[in-house]
Amino acid sequence: MSAAINALRLAWRNVLRNRRRSLVTILIATVGCTSVLVASGFALYTYDQLRDGAAREFGHITIAGRDYFTRDEETPMQYGIDDYRQLTAGLMANPLVRRVLPRVSLSGLISNGDKSVIFLGIGADIEAEAEVRGQFLKLVDGAFAAPEGALPAVLLGADLARSLNARPGTGLTLLATTTSGGINAIDVMVTGIVSTGWREVDKRLVYTPVATAQHLLMSDRISTLSVYLDSLDAVPVTHEYLSKADPVHAYKPWWEQAFYYDSVRGLYNRIFGLLGLIIGMLVFFSVANTLAMAVVERTREIGTLRALGALPGEIVAQFLREGALIGAIGAVLGTLLAGIVVLALPHAGMEMPPPPGRSVGYPLLVNASLPLYLLTNAAIIALCATAAWFVSRKAAKKPIVEALAHV
Amino acid sequence: MTAPAIALSGIVKHYRMGDEDIPALRGIDLAVPSGTFAAVRGPSGSGKSTLLNICGLIDAPDAGRYLLAGEDVGGLDEDARTMIRRRSIGFVFQSYNLVPVMSVRDNVEYPLLLLGLPAGERRGRVDEILDQVGLAGLADRRPDQLSGGQRQRVAIARALVKSPTLVIADEPTANLDTATAAQVIDLMKALGHRHGATFLIATHDDRMTAHCDSVHAITDGSLQ
Ligand SMILES: Nc1ncnc2c1ncn2[C@@H]1O[C@H](COP(=O)(O)OP(=O)(O)OP(=O)(O)O)[C@@H](O)[C@H]1O
Ligand SMILES: [Mg+2]
Repeated sequence: MSAAINALRLAWRNVLRNRRRSLVTILIATVGCTSVLVASGFALYTYDQLRDGAAREFGHITIAGRDYFTRDEETPMQYGIDDYRQLTAGLMANPLVRRVLPRVSLSGLISNGDKSVIFLGIGADIEAEAEVRGQFLKLVDGAFAAPEGALPAVLLGADLARSLNARPGTGLTLLATTTSGGINAIDVMVTGIVSTGWREVDKRLVYTPVATAQHLLMSDRISTLSVYLDSLDAVPVTHEYLSKADPVHAYKPWWEQAFYYDSVRGLYNRIFGLLGLIIGMLVFFSVANTLAMAVVERTREIGTLRALGALPGEIVAQFLREGALIGAIGAVLGTLLAGIVVLALPHAGMEMPPPPGRSVGYPLLVNASLPLYLLTNAAIIALCATAAWFVSRKAAKKPIVEALAHV
Repeated sequence: MTAPAIALSGIVKHYRMGDEDIPALRGIDLAVPSGTFAAVRGPSGSGKSTLLNICGLIDAPDAGRYLLAGEDVGGLDEDARTMIRRRSIGFVFQSYNLVPVMSVRDNVEYPLLLLGLPAGERRGRVDEILDQVGLAGLADRRPDQLSGGQRQRVAIARALVKSPTLVIADEPTANLDTATAAQVIDLMKALGHRHGATFLIATHDDRMTAHCDSVHAITDGSLQ
């Protein structure tokens, strides 16, 4: 016990031996630690946002006809769900299920009389949809709720509305192929203009009520059911449970559809991994450099301690403790600094520019995670200790007479 | 009769510098009885330090036989030699070689830490030896807050605190003025006897040799 304290006190005094040099090294470890924590925290925050967005868009679990995900439909609704109300009632009996939303996918032409453009439509319970999509479906103009009226109400994507010169109240015509191969058209009225933040999506997006979509396609089916659970954590278990219990339908968890989330995550993991590697090397070489100087300066001392009966391993252990101590101080300071950044950023109100393909930016925030912090701290300390081992192992084995003769 | 602390026969040591072969010791035979003070004296470059380094097991001879307190230490590997130094050999250096970041107490305690003694016993032994070298009041000072004579007394305490069989002292008074050197010599003599240690001392100092039980003159790598 007291021997350990002795050893630590000795390490501390040796760190203080050349204060300025040690201070610079500790600062590098501090900045390295902070950079890793803030950069990874930013990546974690981004993943969280993207995960949230993807899960809100597709539903935590998507249910469809058995072949829906694996084959292309030859006619609309070919692999649709027939009895969705009954299926919904069954799902709602599960205590983990919060919402079940029907969706009809459709495409066709939308026209204002002068101009027709392609649309990609979603027949859905619009108000419920708006609620689960939250910030990922922003109302730009008009309202989500349909007014009582003769014409079915639709929402248009912002870029589509601009292209058709449509406003809330504008009457439009939807044209689509029916399930039996004919062409059907219905008149609709715009109630709201929305934005998903994705320009490509907003260029073609039309939300209609489920009944309107079914009416247009002349079908009683829906395409998919989106299941929302109380939390994302419950998805794996619930997905497994539901899909086992129902052989008739196909069940897909959100992550199997979240391609954007996957690709951003893949990219960020690589970028931030590389960044971490570079920072790690920087810290390593800086500590190695400092300690290498200390080792050379203390060559005679090493010889003395070896003469008194210290084994090379005990000499190395002493430098290892010094390296670890520098690392630990740097890691603690770096963690504090990162903590300040995490707490201060929400008040700074900084915005990141829109990512590729998106029309809106997002707030610059970073997450803190205990495993990340522990791992980073441990890595910094281990890195510094390794650097110490690296630079002292040779000096510790130097012939004693030579070491003692060193000036 | 106990075995001599040091028994050397035919010790040879050469240094190589590039192509040059420098003979430092050319067949040394030497016996130092246990508990005595032995001085090695000779001109600069005669091989005193080389001989002491070999006796202190921090260097190895090219040929010859070395019995340390009766034990043949010739074939031992570096770790085994280190363990013998740890247990049985103390060193006093010409320039003290104290660890500057350690207090007087920490410097003296270090050999006991290596031996793994419990804290209480370490403290007791350190207090006792510091008292014997007359530095009890300076235990918390750093070496750079001491005079040369005081530093060498710390070094003597560090060498003797583990009650070693052998103390190697290479010109321990060479850096000290005459009066201080005399005090250090007296101290070594008094404490050496009290701890039953054998001293092997390289020196130019006549007063030092006057205190020794045997004096061995070395020239050009050979004893007279
Ligand atoms: N590392 C070395 N490399 C080459 N030659 C050496 C080395 N160490 C000592 N020598 C040579 O070995 C011989 C003996 O040296 P040593 O240091 O033992 O002498 P010394 O009696 O201690 O001298 P001094 O009184 O100056 O300390 C000298 O000729 C010296 O030059
Ligand atoms: Mg010498």
